[in-house]
Formats: sequence, C-alpha cells, structure tokens
Amino acid sequence: MTRLIPDWEVRITNFGLGYILMCLVVAIAATNTGNNGLYLVLAGLLAAMTVSGFLSRRNVRGVSCEIEPVGEVFAAQQSFLRVRLENHLRAGTAQALFFLHEGLPGPLWIDPLKPGEKREMVVEGRFPRRGVVQRPDAGLLSRFPIGLFRKYRRAALAREIVVFPNPESCAVPEAPPEEARGGRPHVSRRGTGFDLRTLREFSPGDDPRDMHWKQSARMRRWIVREREAERGRAIVLTVDNAVDDPSDPASLDRLERAIARCAGSALTLLSRGGEVGFQARGARVVPQAGQAQRARVLEALARLAAVPAQSAPPFPPLRRGDHRVMVT
Amino acid sequence: VRRDAASAKPLSDGLRRAYVEALAPAAALAPIPLAFTGGASIRVIALFEAALALLWARARGGRPVRMPDLALNLAGLAYFLWLGYEVTVLRHGLLRSVTYLLLFTALAKLASLKTPGEARTALLVLFLLTLAAASSSTHVSSLLYFAGMAWLGLRALARLAVLADFEEAPPQRVFRTVPTPAISAVGLLAAGALCAPLFYGLPRLKGPYAVAPFRMDDNLSTVLAADRVDLESFGAAKRSDRVVMRLTAATEDRPRVVRLREAVFTEYRDGVWTRGPGSARARPFPAEPPERRGREPVRIDLALFAKGFLFLPYGTESVRLERSRSARALSDGVLQASPGQRDLRYEVGLARPGPARGAGESAIDPRLVPPEIAEFAAKVAGDETVPVRVYRRIEERLRKGYVYTLEPPAARGDPLVDFLLRSRAGHCEYFASSAAMMLAARGIRARLVTGSYGGELGIFTNSIVVRGENLHAWVEADLDGTGFSVLDPTPPSGVPEAATRGSLWRRLSALGRELEFFYDRRILGFESLDQQRFLDAARDGLSGVAGAASGWKGAISLPAIRNGLLAVAVAAGVIIAVSEWRRRRRPMPPATRAYLAVRRVLARRTGFVSPAIPPAEVARRLSEALPGSAEDANAVVALYASSAFGGREVAAEEELDLAERVRRLQRLA
Repeated sequence: MTRLIPDWEVRITNFGLGYILMCLVVAIAATNTGNNGLYLVLAGLLAAMTVSGFLSRRNVRGVSCEIEPVGEVFAAQQSFLRVRLENHLRAGTAQALFFLHEGLPGPLWIDPLKPGEKREMVVEGRFPRRGVVQRPDAGLLSRFPIGLFRKYRRAALAREIVVFPNPESCAVPEAPPEEARGGRPHVSRRGTGFDLRTLREFSPGDDPRDMHWKQSARMRRWIVREREAERGRAIVLTVDNAVDDPSDPASLDRLERAIARCAGSALTLLSRGGEVGFQARGARVVPQAGQAQRARVLEALARLAAVPAQSAPPFPPLRRGDHRVMVT
Repeated sequence: VRRDAASAKPLSDGLRRAYVEALAPAAALAPIPLAFTGGASIRVIALFEAALALLWARARGGRPVRMPDLALNLAGLAYFLWLGYEVTVLRHGLLRSVTYLLLFTALAKLASLKTPGEARTALLVLFLLTLAAASSSTHVSSLLYFAGMAWLGLRALARLAVLADFEEAPPQRVFRTVPTPAISAVGLLAAGALCAPLFYGLPRLKGPYAVAPFRMDDNLSTVLAADRVDLESFGAAKRSDRVVMRLTAATEDRPRVVRLREAVFTEYRDGVWTRGPGSARARPFPAEPPERRGREPVRIDLALFAKGFLFLPYGTESVRLERSRSARALSDGVLQASPGQRDLRYEVGLARPGPARGAGESAIDPRLVPPEIAEFAAKVAGDETVPVRVYRRIEERLRKGYVYTLEPPAARGDPLVDFLLRSRAGHCEYFASSAAMMLAARGIRARLVTGSYGGELGIFTNSIVVRGENLHAWVEADLDGTGFSVLDPTPPSGVPEAATRGSLWRRLSALGRELEFFYDRRILGFESLDQQRFLDAARDGLSGVAGAASGWKGAISLPAIRNGLLAVAVAAGVIIAVSEWRRRRRPMPPATRAYLAVRRVLARRTGFVSPAIPPAEVARRLSEALPGSAEDANAVVALYASSAFGGREVAAEEELDLAERVRRLQRLA
C-alpha cells in the first residue's frame, strides 16, 4: 500500500495493472506499425489514465467523513456508529463511494452526494477486539471513475471509541457480608434488608407493605417501618496483567479471557447493587456501586494492557474491608 | 482496509446480470467498423449483434444466461475445428480469422460469466476488438466511432469499477447514478483535450501505416503534378471538390490572392500542352521572411501527391518554404516542389500593389499554331492589327458564339480545332487555349497559364479554401509592350466565384469536407515530418518572441512600468469589488429573512431591538407586545434556529409557510 497523502491510501488495482500493460502493448504496436488509429487509441488510454487520477482524487478528497459511536460499544457485539458525510465540493457530485469499516460485513454503498450536501447515517458494526480506537479502521473507498486506482480516505473520529471487553458469563464471586470478619465499620443506610432501622411517619412513595399497623393505630397516624440496607463487602476484581512474554499470543489470549470474565463478573455484581472495584498492575478503580461505576470498570478493562512480568508494578493496596477476588 | 473482493468468488445471478448490462452496450458498438473495413462480414457482425441482444434481453429480464461448463467446452472445441477449416480452406485472411475468434470469445465469456475475473477477461476481448476496428478504419467516420466508444467505454469501466466492491446484486439506482452525466461530459472533454497533444506528441518512428484511400482524384493529381496538361482531363479535375490548398492572407491582400498562378505552357500538340524550355534562366524567389518588412505574408498549405507546381499570386516577391523542404525554380516564375512530397506549406511575400504581370518571357511559337486555328484567327481578327483590339475581337467571339461546359463532346481530331470549328463547347482551358493560340497566330506574344481562381471562405477561420472546382486556365499576353498581362476569355459563367460563403447545405457539406481534410491530413496521415514541422514552427515562434522582446527593450520606461502596475492594481480592485458585490448579493436563507422580518415587527412595536437579544427572547417579547402572535413568532424563530445553527434545509412548503406567518405578524402589528 503506497501512502502518498496522510490519511490516504492509494493502491493500484489489478485492473489498473492490466490497463498499464495494455498501454504498453498498444504503444509497441503503434510504434512498430506507424498506425495512427493505434496512436489515437494509445493517446486516449493515456489521457483517460491522467483524467481518471485527477477526478478520482477530487472525488474522494472533496468528501469528509466523521464517525462516532452511538451508546456503548462492546467487542464482538453488534454496535452502532453514526457516520456524518459532507461533500465540500462547490461543483461536482461525489459518487461511486463506499463506506468501509472493519465491523461491517462488506463495503457499504453511498448514494452520490451533491455539492455541499450533508448526510448522516447510522451503521451497525462489530468491533472484533476490546481497546481504545483513536484511528478508526473506517473510511471512504472509491475506485472512481474507471477503477484504475483504489483510493481510501480514513474517517475522522468525533471522539475516541472505547471498545469494552465482551463480558463472559462466569461464576460470580460471593461477597461476604459487611459484618463478617475483616469488614469495615459503616454507617447504616436505608434499604430493603430485613433489619429494622427505625419507625417514622409515612411519606408518599413508601411501600404500603412496610406499614406498621399497630403503631399507626396507637398514634392515629400512618407509621412505616424503615429497614436497613443489606450490604455485602466491596469486591475488588483483580486481573493479573503481567505476562512473561507480551508477544506470546497464548499469554495474551489468556489475559483477554481473564479480562472478559472480569467484565462479566463486574456487570453481574453491579447489577445486583453491589460495590465493585477493579485492580490490575498499574490500574485501579475504587469500589463503588451504580451505573457510573459500571462505565469506569469497563473502561479500565478496555484500556488494560499487558505488562512484562519482570518490570510489572505491584497491585495497588486494598482499602480496609475490601475483598479482593482474582479473576483468571 | 479490506482487500479487493475476491476475484474467484462465484457471481450471483444479480451480479452477473449487472456485469452483462455494464458490458453489453460497449460490446455492441465495438465491432461495427469491422463490417466496413473488411475485418468481418456483415452477416457475422449481424449474428454477433443478435446474440448479444439476446444475452442483454435475458439479463434485463433478470435471467442472465449462464452456459454450463460442458457446453462451453464443447463450443470451444467446435470453434477450434472451425478455425482450422477457416484457415486452411476458406482462407479469410488473418484479420478476419482473428476478428471472428474475438467475436466468438466475447460472446462465450458474456454467456458464461462466473467470476468478476471473467468479466475483466470479457472486457479485454472487447478492447482487442476495438483495437482491431480502430487500426483498420481509415474513413473520417471513424472519429464518430472513437467518440462513441469513449463514451460507452467510460460508462462500462465506471460501472465495472463499482461492481468490483459489490458481493451481491447492486441496487438498481447504482447504475442510474454511475457515472453521472456531468462527470461523463467533463471526463470525456478533459480526456479529449488531453488526447490531442498526446497524439501529436507521441514519437513516430515509421511513416503512416494507412493514409486516406482517396486523398485526391487521379485526374486532379495528374493535372497538378505533371509537367503537361491535356484538355480533356482538366474538365474532370474541375468537377472535383477535393481541397487543393488552403491559404491565409491579410484582409487587404485578399483581392490579390484571388488568382493564383501555377504553371505556364507554351507548346501545344494534339490536345496536350507542355512547358517549353523557357526563354530566360530560371530566377528563384528570395526567401527573405516578409514579416521583417512588417507585412503579413500569404500562407499556403498545398496538398500534393507527387512533384507539383506551387500556386503563387501575381506580384509574388519572395517565397519562403517550410524548413527542410525545397522547390526548383523554373522559367517564367514557376516553382516546382522537389519530388516525394505529399504536401507543402510556404509563405509568399507580395510586392506593392500594381498591375498583374506574368513573369518570364516565353511565349507560344506562332509557327506551331495549327493552320486551322491560324486561319480562324485571321477570320476573327479581320483587318485589325492593334493587339488589344485583336484580343477584344477574339474574346467577343468566344463569349458570344461558344458554350461553357465541363463535359465537352468527344473531339474528332485535334480537340482545340474541334472546339473552335465544330463543337463550340468546352471549359476554361478550351477558351484560354483558343485565345492564346489565336493571339499567337496573329503575332502577339501569348501563352497559356493554369492555376486557380477564387475559393471558399473557411468555416471556422478566415482562410480561403481552394478546391478542384476552382482550378482555372487563362492567357497571359503582351498587348502593349509592358509585359504579360492577364487575359481571361472564359465566359463569366465559367469563371469560378471569387469568394463564396455558400448556402447552409453547402456550409454543412464544406464542414464535412473540412473534417475529412483534417482527418486525412492531421490524423490518418500524421507522421514524424509533421512533428518536425511543428517543432520548427515553435522554434521560429520562440525566436520571433525573443526578437520582439529585444525590440521592446528600449521602449520600456519607468512611466510605462508605473502605468502598467497602476492598471494591474485597478483591475485587481475591480475584481475584488465585483466579487464582494456578488457575495453580498448572495440570497439570504429564507428562515433568516423571516427572522429578520420578525425583528423588524418587534422593533416597530417596542422601539429599538438590540442586536444582543437572542432569537428566543425576540419571540417572547413579541408575543408579549403583540397578543396572538406567539405561535407564529415561535415557529419562525424555531425554524430560524434549526436552519442557521443546525444546518437544516428549509423546504419549499416551509418557505411558503414562513412567508405567510410573517405576513400575519405584520398585519397584527
């Protein structure tokens, strides 16, 4: 692949090679015979090649392509990308364009873009690997006008695409209760556990099943039970990203599987309302619960890279009461 | 980046249909010229077209033909046997055998497309057919073929280029939009413009393979090239409308180039004129470029097959031939091109205007005049001895008693005697020959001169095109002792028009001829010598520019530079002002126009509206100030915001709606 222009890839096609070969053949025939009909054909072929290069370059260069993800993007799962196209040419319809992305099953035909036209479309694709995409393997492809060259222009990214690991379902580690040995003291919080926290007056939104009927009768006001939240201990999922040989595919494969399992465990635990953190060598996410924590853990997993065992940093220290679970 | 779609992947029916549809139009046109050049028989071409139409119709119907491999192999084997029979028994010749093989292969490929690679093979076969047609065509209509193939070829290649990235049948709209008509036109025009310099610049190592089959009529070439002219062939030459030459002259010089002198004849025997030995030593014209004297030269582009005489206007002072060409000076101011030249370009410098006088001293020997003619001359002249009056009598006699025709009756005996005494019908050469002979018989020095008279003003340029019909003959005679003056005894009906523009049909016909001339001379017969000419002309042009620059060196002064810079600055200022004016005149988007109208309505109700007030606030204030306007104001502002800040296009109906809302607001206000 010859890179002539930044973000451009220009490659001569097999047809283009054949075309050049035919030009040579016609040139030899014309020179040997002096036949001006052949000279005319040769001149036409050479002129067509030149004009084709100019038109082709203008066609692809005149169109900008920007992509951004729609929602979360998980590796090896269907995800959506918003593609924004704009033809900046004042005159000249951009045509014979294909949108190309590694996540698409094949090149996607784009109808001709009139001068100045903007178009937005959402495409469904699949990223094969987790990670952070800063230079998308997506862009515009064209063999316009006669297929001598195949020109590819890389798309711009509106923002980086974080491809989360594909969560692998696995046995979820049991979280020991907060009160168990090693747990840390905590403030009691309102929740849906079994222990009674206090009695108070009813307020809109309270569950009628929590109504304390006897006390209500006594006080002639509606009184409800307030329960304590049941809390497990915060779990810190840990992945050892130190590998003996970072170029060894088997080691890397093992690490990827561990990351996928870790993502699966984290999603399950967080969906149950638990506090989940994440640790690896050189990476740490403090345990918390909720949607925001889900994104933090998944992003940390997406960005996790293998480190050589010899120079690997130690795991960050745990907070008191956190429960570490090694995911392998 | 994904790799090319695999060439070996089998084609689906939809994709096969698309490939056939992309290739069929070009395939239909590719072999057509072969039917006219002997490259293939018309029946075979018709058969090919019919089979192609069937394939195309099946493809368009959604059921593209796909021959099974077995049938294809059998057909190939059968054709192989046929080829052996054709080569050994029928002996059609190499071109036909190859053409038939290509036609068969093209059909077989189109009927059995299995992979994209095979479509490319079919394309290659079609290209070879095109090459065969292009290389064997010599008619000017080949230009139409080239143009048609360029258009269909571009369409086919553009569509094949798109199909290469489809793995299934493309949507129907793909073929409708690829290539767009505008890009086809731009591409073809640009390629055509680039094609011309490439064609003329590509190196030629050999002479042209083929030239026009009939560059000039045989009779015409004989008339122009031989050192003799006979009365009977001259008429045939005059019936030809082939272009003999093209000349360009300054407007004030045009009347002087109407009559061009070619050759002088002084010896007549049995209907054939030959050049005499000449009475004086040949004196060549100087080749000094006339431009040096500040006068525009007459430029002549003469078409010749073999050696021939140069056409020169009366009053020629200098003749400058193109580089590497030569001409032999003969007596009586006649120049003859050196042998082996097919055409010749030269420039002629004219002397100051004056009476036309023929150069040289040679004249018809009165002793060689046939006695019948001498006797007739005596009868016509009577007792008149003054040369001018003798000529008047001869001219009057010829004009009153003789008929001009290009097809004189067959002569019995000497054609000239037959013309004078019996048939009394002939063309200009009969009239001129008779007059010259009769003058000689009366002791007046006279001779026959051939050349051309008049011409057609060019279609595209101010040049004059001289055709075979403009060939003419007249007499030069010394009537008053001041030299050979020009006498034209041909009746006016027989003298070609001095300059014609012609009717529309004639112009169209002339346009066709010009194209034919261009194709014959500039395309089909183009050779290395022409390239050499072009280089010479370019070199001369450059040296002319250098000379002009050195001449201007002294003329450039500081005020001139200052004035020049001032003119450039003024021109730049005008350009900037015009572009700014055009930019300001650019129509405002409808939503913005409506919003500004709303702001004006608000200003009318409340006084000054600061530019800092944002659109939503404008709508709010207007709805407060103008009860009942809230809906319209909000709608206008909303559309303005989405148009100006969101890049949304306003549809035609929305534009009408905006205008209606603004009108309502104005009425309310």
